[in-house]
Amino acid sequence: MDFLYSYIVLAEIYVLLGLSTNLLVGIAGIFSVSQAAVFGVGAYLVAHFLMAQDALPFVPSLAIAAACCVALNILVTLPSLRVAGDYFVVTSFGIQLLATAVFTNWTAGTGGANGLPGIPPPDILGLQIESTQQYVVLCTVAAGLGCLCFFLVMRAPFGRLLRAIREDELAVAAAGKNVLRAKVSAAALAGAFAGIAGGLYATFLSFIDPSSFDLDASILLLTMVVVGGARTLAGSIIGPFLLLALPQVLTLIDIPTTIAASARQLIYGVLLIAFMLFRPQGLAGERL
Amino acid sequence: MTAYLQAENLDHHFGGLRALRECTFTINQGRITCLVGPNGAGKTTIFNAITGFLKPDEGSVTFKGRKLDGLRPQAIVHAGIARTFQNLRLFVDLTALDNVMVGIGSQFGEEPIGAIFRPLHTLRGQRRRREEALATLEHVGLADRARDVVRNLSYGEQKLLTVARVLATGAELLLLDEPASGLSAGALDAVMALLRRLQSEGKTLLVVEHNTRVVQQIADDVLFLHQGHLMAQGTPEAIISDPALAEIYFGGAL
Repeated sequence: MDFLYSYIVLAEIYVLLGLSTNLLVGIAGIFSVSQAAVFGVGAYLVAHFLMAQDALPFVPSLAIAAACCVALNILVTLPSLRVAGDYFVVTSFGIQLLATAVFTNWTAGTGGANGLPGIPPPDILGLQIESTQQYVVLCTVAAGLGCLCFFLVMRAPFGRLLRAIREDELAVAAAGKNVLRAKVSAAALAGAFAGIAGGLYATFLSFIDPSSFDLDASILLLTMVVVGGARTLAGSIIGPFLLLALPQVLTLIDIPTTIAASARQLIYGVLLIAFMLFRPQGLAGERL
Repeated sequence: MTAYLQAENLDHHFGGLRALRECTFTINQGRITCLVGPNGAGKTTIFNAITGFLKPDEGSVTFKGRKLDGLRPQAIVHAGIARTFQNLRLFVDLTALDNVMVGIGSQFGEEPIGAIFRPLHTLRGQRRRREEALATLEHVGLADRARDVVRNLSYGEQKLLTVARVLATGAELLLLDEPASGLSAGALDAVMALLRRLQSEGKTLLVVEHNTRVVQQIADDVLFLHQGHLMAQGTPEAIISDPALAEIYFGGAL
């Protein structure tokens, strides 16, 4: 049972990341491949606040980390205001590599490649979250709130504005709208989602290392959006639940554990290609 | 009396090409002014210069006594000037209604904080805006296509929709880039009738147009542009009957 709960907790954390990625890539058309870096910054920050000598409580830690990720995501998205589509992918790729290098080599801050162990569990208004069931409740609330925000924003004029920007920025400006402000807002919201996901992830696993926040992780997030479906709430939920179930399904098949990890990467790659070729709208979305 | 829109000495180079040379003209309020001239004369460049999509090397544009120089496109829309594009630039994956609603000025819920924390207020605002947008679509004759995705609309309908989108901005001076080109006879009449109706409702129109029949029928004033230079300004009759201009425009065919 505990195994199922863990799966739900992780999937819900990835739902928040799916929302973040979908908002930027699917809806606003800002093709970021560095969302895992922002996720990582959220995770490391929360870990730090909780493990510092004058440790902060969980909620303020999460709030500060989310605020930092808002600022960071605006900063890393800013190049998209100047450089168009393809060029931004390269810029974003560079940002992700830079982040991985920092996570891996800044041993004093991140524990380097060995990671950061012993992150204490969260405590919310005096209630210590320790059992996996309690995490399920916490993450369900967090993912639920995230989905609600996503739903409200997509239904509002803001959502329409972002869809319009994805199609034609010049035409949006000609219609009298501020493209810059809309893009910054989208980046801010996506940053908040990623930061909160990072904090939940760090406390749930109590151990983090750079491999969770590298380029592979960013590509996993893109795969979730593509497979689940771009631009829809359902797509942002289905993608994470499906792709995180995949490794578990693989364990049922009798393959040596030594190749399990690479087999997973292989399958993610095949899935990406197959969906792009045969079902570009994903399971429950629209064409990317 | 200050002019409604005054362009003074607009000059612009694209590399070695001088796209605009000392262009000076005025546009009068409440009139339909047609901007004509051969391909490459600089008509769209003038549109870009007025609407902030291009910063001319020299010269300035004044609208109702206010200098527009250096303003960004969205600020110029707020000042009261909106444009269409020759290649339409509609949001083809959105519905006709959504295309018009993007154009409607300052709506509640255009940023995430308002949308998330005041959902009901956002919803009520949208209901009102939707009525406005439907009325605008009705006005250009597209009410029955409101829910259709734009890529499924005919070319003529898409042209009408570009007019609806600029109308939604509430601008009083509309710059329309070839609203009548490529249309069937029936669609052409519908567009001309629409332009006249807009004029009677108090809008001022600056229209790029190639079709001399259309120019004769709708224009109050004509600006004749050639190689980036304003050759003549006058009534359509005067411009069309000028043999020197016809020579330029039709290459001596007349």
